[in-house]
Amino acid sequence: MISLNSVIKKFDTVAAVDNITVHVEKGEHFALLGPNGAGKTTIVRMLLGFAKPTSGSIFIDAIPVSNPEARNGVGYLAEHHMIPSYLSGLDYLRRHASLIGFSGKDVPLEVDRLLEVVSMKGREKEKSAAYSKGMKQRIGLAAALLGKPKLLILDEPTAGLDPIGIRDVRNILENLRADHVTVCLNSHLLSEVEKTCRTVAIMNNGKILVKDSIQSIIKNGETLEDVFIKYISK
Amino acid sequence: MNLFLKITGYTIRDQMRHKSFYVLLGCCLLFVLMVRGCYSGQYVVNGKLLDSVAMAWYVSNIVFQVIAAGMFLMVILLSMKIFSRDHDDGSLVLFLSRPVFRQQYILGRIAGTWFLCLVFMFILHAAVFLTVWTKTGAIIFGYLAASLVCSINLLFIAVLVCFLSLHLPDFISAVFTVGLLFVGYISDGGYQILNSQILKAAIPSAVPSTPALWRILFPKVYMVQAYAGSIIEQSSFHNMGPINPIVNVFIYIVLIAALLLSGFNKKEI
Repeated sequence: MISLNSVIKKFDTVAAVDNITVHVEKGEHFALLGPNGAGKTTIVRMLLGFAKPTSGSIFIDAIPVSNPEARNGVGYLAEHHMIPSYLSGLDYLRRHASLIGFSGKDVPLEVDRLLEVVSMKGREKEKSAAYSKGMKQRIGLAAALLGKPKLLILDEPTAGLDPIGIRDVRNILENLRADHVTVCLNSHLLSEVEKTCRTVAIMNNGKILVKDSIQSIIKNGETLEDVFIKYISK
Repeated sequence: MNLFLKITGYTIRDQMRHKSFYVLLGCCLLFVLMVRGCYSGQYVVNGKLLDSVAMAWYVSNIVFQVIAAGMFLMVILLSMKIFSRDHDDGSLVLFLSRPVFRQQYILGRIAGTWFLCLVFMFILHAAVFLTVWTKTGAIIFGYLAASLVCSINLLFIAVLVCFLSLHLPDFISAVFTVGLLFVGYISDGGYQILNSQILKAAIPSAVPSTPALWRILFPKVYMVQAYAGSIIEQSSFHNMGPINPIVNVFIYIVLIAALLLSGFNKKEI
């Protein structure tokens, strides 16, 4: 589903991503872990075509990410999700639905379905300027889930959410597993990653230190946090 | 529906959400209606009383140019913040995280802004046209066609400001564009004055010199306005150089749009 081949991304002389090769299979729930500045967000930006790799190639479903068609069926939630303040949550979701090809009566049906999923029914007509960070995050998640995506790229999806919101996100991701949706999760919340993902890659200084299933990298008595700190402090 | 058309529609809707847009339109219409008093005045030139139709014709041509100049300012103000605002409020991510080509996004944004300004300008020009018609009974043939002709200038300005704002701060882009228009107005306006019948009649020995190449190749925004004015007056038009000003401006639009698309494709978001 996702394929990064020898990807390097340099900002001036600094390599934010340093010769990374990663393959994520279809239906895999994959988490990218690393401290601040490790290069996780740069990878997400390259996956979405927002930034171009200095060298190497990136494919989504065998389509190079430089082609916008690669983003067909891809849902994305940014870490600091922004909604234009003059749009309501409903307007925002309608725009997303329209851009991915929904038309006519399908738009309100799909938008209504997702407003229920993210528990924003009843608040959707308010302007986003009145939304809290968590509410914006919920609308952003609904936008990412529009049209039943085959790949979800989530950059800190639980940022700003209360414990109930975090649990809701976890449940949503759990339900997606049955639909074989591939999830690429970028998170600092190791306990959440442990609950929602099967595979993790730990990054530091632009390099992937390890990529394997959580079961394989966690030894007896350890937590993901212990493993994370062990790799990062190496 | 094509994504380009969808983004054009969103742009028009987003720009029209401002209450100031309607206030401005109302103020402009009020200005146009206030000018109608000029049509009924009695004017004497060289001891001869001007008839109201000739006066209306003359005044409406001036108002035509004033409206166009105001619209230039408006299109500059609307275009200069397209990228920075979209970047800051999340619209850029909204569009480009979807299967939208960057060309569709950028052309949709420009087309929406241009179309909105075109309609705004056309409404004001149509108001002048109707006022003259109802007040004097004279129909100024070509007035509305002239309005459409100078809409190419709006497109040129929108593309130029967007291109500059990709590389420069918004305000500097706007100032640079105003400066470029000013240089064109001085260069081409001077040429028009030197070729005017009034000057030729006043100084028969004055022979206008051949303009320098840069003046011939410079964006002919003023000349398009003068050309539109000649459509209204049904008079001859003195072009500078062999290239029609509309073709000149159109070539600039294509070139700058190509540079804009190429620059935006390389830009990281």
